[in-house]
Amino acid sequence: MEKTDQEQVAPEQQLTGAKKILSKLKQLVRPTGNVHEQRLRRKMKLTSLITRRLTLIKTAMFVIGYLWMVLLPVPQLGRGTFVDENALQPGQVNTQWNWGDVHAADLYLGQLEQMRDVNYTSERRAEWFKEQFSKLGISASTQNYHFQTSAANMTGTNAYAVISSPRNPGAEAMVISASWLSIIDEGAGTVNIRGVSMILALAGFLKRYSYWGKDIVLVISDGYLDGMQAWLSAYHTPSQSGLTADRLEIPSGVIWTALNIDYPGHSFSHLGVFFEGLNGRLPNQDLFNSLNRIARYTAGVPVVLYDHLDPREDSAADVSFSRVPSFLYNIQFVKSYLYQARNVLRHFGYQYNGRGSGVHGLFHQFRIDAITLFAVPATGPHGFHALGRTIESTLRTMNNLLERLHASFFFYILKEPTWFLQIGLYLPSAILISAAMMFHGLSIWVDAGWMKDDRSKSNEKSLSKETPAPEPEWKRRQRPVLDVLSIMAATHVVGLILFGIISSRLFISNYKNLGQPLFSILTTAPVMIIMPLASQQMFRKDVARRATILKAFNLCFASTVISIITVLNFSLAALLAILLGVPLVMSSSSLQTELPIRMIKYTAYAFIGLGWLLFAQTQMAQAIWDWQILSVWFAPFVCIVYAPLVLQAGISCLI
Amino acid sequence: MGQDFFEKNTNNGSGSTHTNNWAVLVCSSRYWFNYRHMANALGMFVPSWRYRHFVTNLLCKPRYRTVKRLGIPDSNIILMLADDASCNSRNKFPGSVYANPGRHLDLYGDNIEVDYRGYEVTVENFIRVMTGRLMVILVETFIDEEIGRHDPSVPRSKRLLSDERSNVLVYMTGHGGNEFLKFQDNEEISAFDIADAFEQMYQKKRYNEMFFMIDTCQANTLFSKLYSPNIFAAGSSGLDESSYSHTNDNDIGVAVIDAFTHYVLEFMEKINKTSQVSMQELLLCGVGFDLPIKYYQMVWGSGRRAAASAHDKPDSHYHFDSIDPAKINSNPGYRYDLFKRPMDKTLITDFFGGVARVEVNPPTVSSTEPLYVDELDDGAELHVNKSVTSKHAHEESDQTVSRLLFWLHSPESKRTRAWASIGLIGALIGWVLAK
Repeated sequence: MEKTDQEQVAPEQQLTGAKKILSKLKQLVRPTGNVHEQRLRRKMKLTSLITRRLTLIKTAMFVIGYLWMVLLPVPQLGRGTFVDENALQPGQVNTQWNWGDVHAADLYLGQLEQMRDVNYTSERRAEWFKEQFSKLGISASTQNYHFQTSAANMTGTNAYAVISSPRNPGAEAMVISASWLSIIDEGAGTVNIRGVSMILALAGFLKRYSYWGKDIVLVISDGYLDGMQAWLSAYHTPSQSGLTADRLEIPSGVIWTALNIDYPGHSFSHLGVFFEGLNGRLPNQDLFNSLNRIARYTAGVPVVLYDHLDPREDSAADVSFSRVPSFLYNIQFVKSYLYQARNVLRHFGYQYNGRGSGVHGLFHQFRIDAITLFAVPATGPHGFHALGRTIESTLRTMNNLLERLHASFFFYILKEPTWFLQIGLYLPSAILISAAMMFHGLSIWVDAGWMKDDRSKSNEKSLSKETPAPEPEWKRRQRPVLDVLSIMAATHVVGLILFGIISSRLFISNYKNLGQPLFSILTTAPVMIIMPLASQQMFRKDVARRATILKAFNLCFASTVISIITVLNFSLAALLAILLGVPLVMSSSSLQTELPIRMIKYTAYAFIGLGWLLFAQTQMAQAIWDWQILSVWFAPFVCIVYAPLVLQAGISCLI
Repeated sequence: MGQDFFEKNTNNGSGSTHTNNWAVLVCSSRYWFNYRHMANALGMFVPSWRYRHFVTNLLCKPRYRTVKRLGIPDSNIILMLADDASCNSRNKFPGSVYANPGRHLDLYGDNIEVDYRGYEVTVENFIRVMTGRLMVILVETFIDEEIGRHDPSVPRSKRLLSDERSNVLVYMTGHGGNEFLKFQDNEEISAFDIADAFEQMYQKKRYNEMFFMIDTCQANTLFSKLYSPNIFAAGSSGLDESSYSHTNDNDIGVAVIDAFTHYVLEFMEKINKTSQVSMQELLLCGVGFDLPIKYYQMVWGSGRRAAASAHDKPDSHYHFDSIDPAKINSNPGYRYDLFKRPMDKTLITDFFGGVARVEVNPPTVSSTEPLYVDELDDGAELHVNKSVTSKHAHEESDQTVSRLLFWLHSPESKRTRAWASIGLIGALIGWVLAK
């Protein structure tokens, strides 16, 4: 009997259980009662859930963000490259470049070597180039330029020629260029001698064919970056202060794509590709992918990033770092990781300071997709023949374009020639850190608006001590926003003045001596000004401390800056996330800490923010040069945005 | 008996009742990298050229001209090319279009007449050509027949002047999708548009039979909406399938022809004007076509055959492999439910070959006379009909005379005369013997 009873009960219970779940579900889907009230309650529930676990969420975001950055080179992360634009049709043509053309290049090379050895002036050299172009029946000209800024005083002469499209009006153009100085050591003095001979030989070769749908502009620019910058400025006629350059006599169309040739050595083993442009811009990936395909399958030349040979393919490059034990290095994963990390770091190095990796980068400011082909110096096996075929086929591909490159990726990190990270795979790392900073700043801001009420505490004490956990009473308090904002504005004004000083002729001409005094003045001045002010402050319970508010604003502002920079220049954003993320969160505003400790903290921030005045003086001078000649905004950004942000954190430790 | 005799001669045994052939060949896409679509359409222009083997190409020129003279004349072909690949500045061989690597035959070379070129190729113009409404002049004073006729200013070469005895070949190529084909780079024709245009053509008696062939991605969806009778349709690929190019020429630098069209044309090489190869052999090879389903994918190749294993016939039916899904990477499809004649009796030359047949009708003037009696009470219609019939009668008597004159010079008439004289002699001998 009992058994049967149980049996009868059990299904009933089940039924009620099921009913409960059903009714709960029903309530979820179609709530009864006041909908608005429920919505508000739901919201409050969610808010309290987040605020209760805020510390955990913040920490998790920081940890994941930094970990993500470390994991970027993991070989499994990313996807293979592919050619997206239909019109390109890369590598589908027979190339006509032959040994006769190679011979022509060799002849030019011989003459160029003579010119190099007798030290021709730029002007004479350019005249000679013009003469050679004219001999081939191509309209050519030269362009004198002169840069006169506080950081630079350069003169040079470019030579250029235009092969007009035989059967088209020439509304569009593509550029093949070579700078006189090679990319090796960033224009330190190696002459791009074979690159220039290649351009001359190509001129004679390309003219023979009638299928060019675009004008071909051949440019031999003087110097390393300066010549091309002057030529491009004159071509697109924006007025650049400090530059006086001749007008270009031979007009051509809108430039869509450009190839820069860099071939300084005797022969080469791989074609290295440099692609980073000014201010963190990247060329459309289709250009790189097309070239990669063409070089590999048409000319049989392996393509690498920069001059990094793949240790998994080339035994010459398969050398373990001294710090990595060989048994660890021989694991395929570690080897791939290290190789990709090397590429990613090189990319970061070129991108964060906005300078780009070569002459091609100058094209990007005019929305021209350009890359540099670097013939990685080696004893063999490739030479003019392979390079010529690659360039010819790439030009045919560029010639097929019907509109600007737009289909493929503009945001990417190339980890290998055929493997890259899309924006979605690297952007979140910096964004997570920036979001964590924002959360932290907001929580400080909210907390600063409340204080515990002392009176209620005393009441509690007098009433009964047994009350286990009396709820503390919270009261609103004032937050001194205006004071803090003026402090922040002051730091940015200081940054502006700093930028004015370091870009002045006086400072630039002997920055090595002036760096140290400037650093000391800038770091001590806030202490001198702020400390007396800080001591004047009344420690009132009903007004939040300035330091707290300053920290909150500082964090929120820094977070915003990082988020914005991520899409403009991810490498810079990542660097900011590392330099600002945790340090800014660590800045303390408590009064309990001793003054010496606070001073030490302040000094640390001063070094983070302005240490470059002492330790990175050449880079600083370089950044000023970049700003004045190439309009790279890295230097003003550091002075006006970055350094003040760190100083604010330091100041919040003092007051 | 005479009727039988004529039917036997005029129909070639295929049962087709058409007297003339028309073709509308459309390449709907622009741009240099779509070279192959222009080559497709131009390849169809002269369907029986040999284009693969160099040796045969040495003989190609005379053959090509012959085919052209005996095939559908240029005046009966409406060729629409949305772009001009031959004159593209990127073309290494200006003025030429080739469809094979090695460039043995210039499709553009001899006397190609492009009727609609460049931006003239639009959905509207295509539909207007098909339905014969190139320039509609709706003037009330015109009699009904005049409405919808061509503007006289549109040249004949741009018009599809077909009638109810015309077999029309419609070939389209371009970039397409599910139930649409892209025209130029800015508009599409939908499967419904095509179906409605064909229905109008049917109602206006602009065709006897139609063969609609299309080579584009998801091509088979484009004929899925057809509903007018006597249309046979074939496409290059099924729903969610792409149609692929066949081959590149490495000097031109782009793909020069699409796979489906390539194999169709390769098959066409074997066809000449008198060949008796049926449509079944072209498209339904190896698959029983009296299936109850409406239309379906062709099922050749090892991977695909399972689907139609029930209808598979012995391997002898695979004696040629003109369109193998494994080769073209898509499943070509066809639709025959609207078509009345059996496939194996329908000749390829019924659509691809040009036939200008003459038909002698018994005088029909007497048959129109009752009209007067039947519709006496309606004055207006009487008037119209009167004019129409009298016009008809006049035209027909003219036509009969000309047809008879023509017929007298044809080889058929020679044969008939020979038989007649034999019969006459026989009759005379019989008469003499009977005496």
